[in-house]
Amino acid sequence: MSEGKIVSIHSFRGGTGKSNVTANLAAQVAMTGKRVGVVDTDIQSPGIHVLFGLDDAKMGKTMNDFLHGKATIREIGFSIGENTGGGEGRSKLAGKNLFLFPSSIRGREISQILREGIDFNLLNEGMQTTISEFDLDYLFIDTHPGLNEETLLSIATSDVLIIILRPDNQDLQGTSVTVDVARSLDVPNLFLLVNKALPKYDFAEIKTTIEAQFQAPVTSVLPLSFDLAENASIDLFSLRYPDHEWSKALRNVVDFVLNAK
Amino acid sequence: MSGDLLQKIRETDFFKELSNEALAAVASRASLRKFAPDEALMRKGDAALSFYVILNGHLKIVTTDAKGDEIIINKVGPGETIGELALVDERPRSAGVVALEPVEALELTKEAFFELLDQRLDVSLGILRGFSSRLRFSTTYIEKVIDWSQKTAEGDYSFLEYTQPLLNRAGTDDDKAAQLLSTFYSMVRKVKAREEGLKQQLERLTFEIDQERRKREFEEITGTEFYAKLKEQAQTIRRKRTPDP
Ligand SMILES: Nc1ncnc2c1ncn2[C@@H]1O[C@H](COP(=O)(O)OP(=O)(O)O)[C@@H](O)[C@H]1O
Ligand SMILES: [Mg+2]
Repeated sequence: MSEGKIVSIHSFRGGTGKSNVTANLAAQVAMTGKRVGVVDTDIQSPGIHVLFGLDDAKMGKTMNDFLHGKATIREIGFSIGENTGGGEGRSKLAGKNLFLFPSSIRGREISQILREGIDFNLLNEGMQTTISEFDLDYLFIDTHPGLNEETLLSIATSDVLIIILRPDNQDLQGTSVTVDVARSLDVPNLFLLVNKALPKYDFAEIKTTIEAQFQAPVTSVLPLSFDLAENASIDLFSLRYPDHEWSKALRNVVDFVLNAK
Repeated sequence: MSGDLLQKIRETDFFKELSNEALAAVASRASLRKFAPDEALMRKGDAALSFYVILNGHLKIVTTDAKGDEIIINKVGPGETIGELALVDERPRSAGVVALEPVEALELTKEAFFELLDQRLDVSLGILRGFSSRLRFSTTYIEKVIDWSQKTAEGDYSFLEYTQPLLNRAGTDDDKAAQLLSTFYSMVRKVKAREEGLKQQLERLTFEIDQERRKREFEEITGTEFYAKLKEQAQTIRRKRTPDP
């Protein structure tokens, strides 16, 4: 059995920055020399492939094919290190061991899987196989927002769960339930990450207030940044602009992942 | 008609597709009108008898609110046309137009307009192109407004930043849809600023979690058979993956 760890990234609401954080964090961990995989299990609204420069034309076999028994995990893994696909930030990943396991972006295939349901045993098996076949140190999972069944499954199997939230009441309320569920499922490493914090706030205060609420570490507070929004998810921001405040704050999270037991 | 005047007509969106010769045909049937400040070009409810191409000066487009007070809907200036739609759909004027300063405008009466359409295929086509290019323009802007409305509803204001340059272009346009876009944009800016102010206040007041709701939602999720099975499996799965000590 491989020692690879599953790191799930979750948020109560969509648009919180899950895909951007997952892609950048996975890339940063890969930059340290680790073998890293990224699975898009947000089957209903896949998005992370864009950050890695994949479009419909470049996308080969997907997780949907795997779940329909039409592809093996080996066939799905797309090596970013060998295909950085342009992008000033992404090109720094050349030669690194980073593999993307995308979800289909074809409407028909999305509705098919939603209609037929997901075979959880198969999905779970798929994640284990991903780790062993690609000899991964970390497998990052970009989940669907909210707490549907496949998201619960990724929480249940993860060694590290990072819950992203915006500093507002609605997100805090939703996050509180996720925190309780994660504790009930005995997730060994439960981390919080604040994104889209308005720069005029006192970030230290946000961190201590939220940590006190949930009794879990806030790994970092990432600012709301128009620069990031303008990048419009077409490149890996933290690699392209390493000195930006958002990128610096994101890199704080790397050690939490690397040191997780 | 002087060449200067022809040039001014050509600069209007509405007539920009016309050839020199067709422009001259339009100009020959039009008459030059002058309006003093505060003089009305048309009043709301009037029959639509002609339309105008503004050559010099600005005017306000006005309507009245429920109390009868004047509301300025818009301001128009040189190069813009007034009242062309009413000629075609034959409905009474939907708003009044009043000069804000000395105004010079070219008036084309309904008869002259239809005569032109009847006799000159080139003019008709040019005018039709004028109509359709404005429509096409409008559609693009309206699609943008729809897109922005959806984003705004989701609390995603990122478009405010990356659309600024595009908007400046739209702002110089006489198109109503462009004005809608521009108004919508500044509205969202204000909504966002207000929301941020509010958020900041909330932040200072500390976060409030409804503990009862939290408990209820937790029980809803964990009370299912699926969950019970999952909890059982989770332990085996993780144990399986962790190497034996
Ligand atoms: N810190 C931030 N500041 C500004 N925009 C952000 C930030 N984080 C994410 N975004 C933007 O928010 C949108 C949603 O991000 P995404 O990563 O796709 O979220 P999710 O996967 O949670 O739906 C994107 O347009 C992204 O560029
Ligand atoms: Mg996403």
